[in-house]
Amino acid sequence: MKRVYRLAGVCAFLLGGAAAAAAAPAQQVGTAKALLDKDFVCTTCHDASSPKKIFSIYQTRHGNRADARAPGCMDCHGPSDKHIKDPGTGTDVVFTAKSKHLSAADDRNASCLKCHDSKVLPRTNWMGSQHQARGVACSDCHNIHVPDQKVMSKATQAEVCFTCHKAQRVQTRRISSHPLAVTGLGTTAKMSCSDCHNPHGATGPTLLVKNTVNETCSTCHAEKRGPFLWEHAPVVDSCVNCHTPHGSANAPLLKTRVPWLCQDCHSGDHGNQVNSAANLLGGNVTTVNGQQQLGAAAPRAQTGARACLNCHVLVHGSNHPAGAKFQR
Amino acid sequence: MKTHTNGFTKAVWGTAGRGAALAIALVACAHTAAAQTAQEATKPISAVEFGGTDVSDGAYKAGEYNGLQNKGGLGIGHFDLRGGAAYNDDSALRWRIKGADLGLDTRSLSGEVGAQGVFRFNFGFDQLRRNRSDSYQTPLQGAGSNVLTLPGGWQVPTIAGSTATNNVVNVLSARGLLTTIGTARYINTQTNSATFTGLLTPTAGQISSVSAASLTDVPAFQNYNLHTTRTKFDLAFDYSFDPRWGVSGEFRPEHKDGVKPMGTVSRNTGGDISTIIPDVVDTNTYQTDMRVNFRGAKGFAQAAYYGSIFKNNVPFMQWQNWATGPTATGAINFGTAVVNTMSSTPGNQFHQFSGSGGFNFSPTAKLVVNGSVARNTQNDSFLADSTTPVVPVSSLNGLVINQSFTVKFNARPAKKLSLTAGYKYDNRDNRTAVHVFQYSDAGEAPAANTSFVAGPSNPLGAVLAQNANANRAYSKKTNQANGEADFALSSRQWLKGSYEYERNNRDCYSSWISCADAAITNEHSLRAEYRATLSDDLTVRVGYTYSARRTPNYNENAFLALVPYTNVSPAAATGGATAYSVMVANGWTGWGPASGYAATTGNMNMFFPSNNALANAMYGNLNRISELPGMRRYYAADRNRDKIRTSATWQATDELSFQGNVDYNKDHYADAIYGLQDTNTWAANVEGMYAVATDLSLSVFYTYEDLTAGSAGNTYTANSNTATLTGALATTIGLSGNSCDGFTTLQQRNNNNKLDPCLNWFTDRIDKVNSAGVTLMGKEAWDTKLDLTGNFIVTRARSDNTVTGGNWANNLLMGPGAAPTTTAAYFIAASALPTVSTDTYELRLNGRYAVTKTQALHLAYTYMRMTSVDWMYEGMQFGSLSGILPSNEQPFNYSVHVFGVSYVLSF
Repeated sequence: MKRVYRLAGVCAFLLGGAAAAAAAPAQQVGTAKALLDKDFVCTTCHDASSPKKIFSIYQTRHGNRADARAPGCMDCHGPSDKHIKDPGTGTDVVFTAKSKHLSAADDRNASCLKCHDSKVLPRTNWMGSQHQARGVACSDCHNIHVPDQKVMSKATQAEVCFTCHKAQRVQTRRISSHPLAVTGLGTTAKMSCSDCHNPHGATGPTLLVKNTVNETCSTCHAEKRGPFLWEHAPVVDSCVNCHTPHGSANAPLLKTRVPWLCQDCHSGDHGNQVNSAANLLGGNVTTVNGQQQLGAAAPRAQTGARACLNCHVLVHGSNHPAGAKFQR
Repeated sequence: MKTHTNGFTKAVWGTAGRGAALAIALVACAHTAAAQTAQEATKPISAVEFGGTDVSDGAYKAGEYNGLQNKGGLGIGHFDLRGGAAYNDDSALRWRIKGADLGLDTRSLSGEVGAQGVFRFNFGFDQLRRNRSDSYQTPLQGAGSNVLTLPGGWQVPTIAGSTATNNVVNVLSARGLLTTIGTARYINTQTNSATFTGLLTPTAGQISSVSAASLTDVPAFQNYNLHTTRTKFDLAFDYSFDPRWGVSGEFRPEHKDGVKPMGTVSRNTGGDISTIIPDVVDTNTYQTDMRVNFRGAKGFAQAAYYGSIFKNNVPFMQWQNWATGPTATGAINFGTAVVNTMSSTPGNQFHQFSGSGGFNFSPTAKLVVNGSVARNTQNDSFLADSTTPVVPVSSLNGLVINQSFTVKFNARPAKKLSLTAGYKYDNRDNRTAVHVFQYSDAGEAPAANTSFVAGPSNPLGAVLAQNANANRAYSKKTNQANGEADFALSSRQWLKGSYEYERNNRDCYSSWISCADAAITNEHSLRAEYRATLSDDLTVRVGYTYSARRTPNYNENAFLALVPYTNVSPAAATGGATAYSVMVANGWTGWGPASGYAATTGNMNMFFPSNNALANAMYGNLNRISELPGMRRYYAADRNRDKIRTSATWQATDELSFQGNVDYNKDHYADAIYGLQDTNTWAANVEGMYAVATDLSLSVFYTYEDLTAGSAGNTYTANSNTATLTGALATTIGLSGNSCDGFTTLQQRNNNNKLDPCLNWFTDRIDKVNSAGVTLMGKEAWDTKLDLTGNFIVTRARSDNTVTGGNWANNLLMGPGAAPTTTAAYFIAASALPTVSTDTYELRLNGRYAVTKTQALHLAYTYMRMTSVDWMYEGMQFGSLSGILPSNEQPFNYSVHVFGVSYVLSF
């Protein structure tokens, strides 16, 4: 029955969409020709034989000439009168990273923001964002001339981000990580950086896609959102109090290993005990009387296996009336 | 994790042989190339790829997220189909359907159709399998369901031993599953025995019982592979009524199922025991986004709704107690099953309405405002049983209101100067009602607390179980303001300075007393950054941030919010005294007076007997939950933070470039006597890139990371006046390699347990990670039709943990009549834990040979290897921990070759 409902929902969605499409304003005849005529100033020289794949922009959204909003060459590169007269000089705005004529980041961004500030896919929070403030340009990550931009694909986006974020690159290779790294056949990563971060600016900390760390994490980990009957204060405060999301040597994505992570906050009852190699299997300590085991005649449970999480497993919150100790 | 390191050569040639045969067959289908035209350069290219892959060995960790967890052949299937109007057509209609990894458990499918600028529809399907363990074992039957039972004939595992009540017995212990431990000699604890404290050899009956249990139980442990799968769907649309107005929406249902390991608590006569059970996951999450957009020449505005509904289809987990039954003599057949239950994560809903807008006052001045209000609820029925005699409501009816508001103003008053000012407000307002819940621990019969009986002086009612706890509805409010100025010193140099102030308020709705360790924290941050393009080839950046967070009044009594009976006068108290009133009158926390042993009377003896910590029963709790004085929880404690960021980029030649950066972070918790003291992290990276030719590049990197965290604690126990060990006259104590206090007798030590400096401990955790990699990328490399990419990455992680301090242990080899000078207790020094190491290697080679312009052969080879050593797994094996049923999980070790060959057709 659930499947029937789902199917019905999909059909309704598509039918609604079709109706919306039918009601869409008609596109104007001649739009493409008018835009292409403007491009012709440039494509006279920069044709399909150009070593740079300039023409492939026509496979992209920016090159969709039936959309009157789509930019022409000079909308981004500027009128470039000097360049037209003397091809040896650069265009008014140069985006090629290794070019000696490379324009300043603000100038390159101004070209993009002519449309993307408010009119098309507005990047409302760009100004003042961490990337903008550090001189990152749109074209540092985007190459709008190619149909499959690396940064727009889940499989390759992280490669682009890791160009600057080197620490995160290796963190994704640790024994505990989110599926950000491309592994195996290398065909796809199962997460992209932009699942959590909005590189164009955001209201949350560290460019997170939601207002807070916890709201962001809950988009995938909704089961940890609560509210629970028994809340754990540091969890409510911020997931990153305990977790380091890009990768860790301590599973699962923990800043440090349990039991010490727990003992950083808990010193009562059995949480106050010292945990060391003396507590491990075979951890007898030599005394003047010979071998003697610390404490009970068995390794300490809090030092072994899952440590505190052997018993206190519901650390994200419990909804059992007897769950105040996060055991049930 | 299974180990697969043998048969290397056989595996490689086996997979290579199968791949080569398929490659030859596919090449035979190829045709000749043709020249590309301008029309082709502008036409979207479609492609279909199919083939096969062979995995040399099954290893869950190697295939953790990539679908390659099983040995054997798998299909390769990708397609990318594009169509619609040509670029020079007046129709903007285009469509695309894309599929990837169709032969794997990580397959995905997506598609879109739209007339650009008018409408667009998207759909998506994505499957993500996460492998958790292929070495997990359990004797529980029914794995994959939420009801787990022990096999028929299960016997309680035991070890040979004796008791102070002068019996030779078998003692319940999971260590006995390894019979060499279960039947080993043991210390005689029979106080009336002539060989008291001597070593005893188990009797034939004891050995028989241990062996019988082991022989029955060990074969019952079966492998059960643990993995979960997320299946995501996605439907989205975007429609523009005109260039200014538009709507968009997205619906993302997701189903997650599978099994993961989960620790659980059961009870036996000696205390709590643990079982790592296969926990069933079966959940649905539905996320919805709806937006109305206004796009103007000078501004943008959006009104939006975001909804997220989480549903859990597993109501609870239930399992049988592996230690149930009388344990006094020998092995016991599992007859009367004691069943334990664990609640499942409750379903919840989150509905958020938001608005945002940006307005450009001028080309150099912009204001952006964002605001949202969300309602987060949860009302699943509680799971009550005989251990919960007082459950005042049947469900939580939980409600959290989340409010957020940000405003940001940017201006460039001069060409060289940029200014940003911002304010942010976040409020998680938990309005869930507070009730008092009473319960006993898992499997334990509730027992009434005679100190709190029903009556007019007890407004909260009688305490019927060992724990009487009130829920704490945590709220947090953040106010943050910041200002930043960026000044161009020259055309190539910039200086940035910023200041940020953040204030956090924390409290609990309707709590009888403040629940917050830090009701208020204030943090001031100053940042300076210098960026420069020193030459055409060299750019540098240096930044420093200093933050100081202060908590005006750290509250060491925040735990009282959990235990409201602290504010109720016990039946025997005089003058209506409560635990709280006594604490306040004396200025104590729950830890009690900081002095040695003293005989106490009256109320003092009731609440703080013998100058000890607050008696648990006097606040209606089974366990001591007060913290050490001086413990500061790091997320709310005073903190000084230093951050340094440096980076440089050098384009040495047109072909050769280098990048390098060093980052340093230090957090210091100045007021924390106990708890986290410091964290230090630093990382250095260097990378070189060399363009061998126009279409062939090589890059090499090395990264080093060092993370250190230091914590302090104290293993104090209650003071006592005990002068001798039971049954012995021994009174002296001995230090082993650590002279930390001046106590010489057992009584002195026991009198001063709360003050004994020997009980202080400190730990330094150090993670060091070395990573290096080489990447080769060649497009039509060496003037051939071969596109080649190669990656080799090696990561070497080492985790060390030094521990200083130690603990006292009574001399187990102490018998009646021992001389008073015999050492009664030894100080056992803590020692460093073994190094945890993980080495990973991954080599990926991808070659794509263009047989014709439209056809290609794709060859892929991947080698994945991991070796890890981790002492944590020792506690999961037979014969290790007494109270935890082994799961026999193994550290991750694998060596896997993957060979793939596929045919690519482009059109």
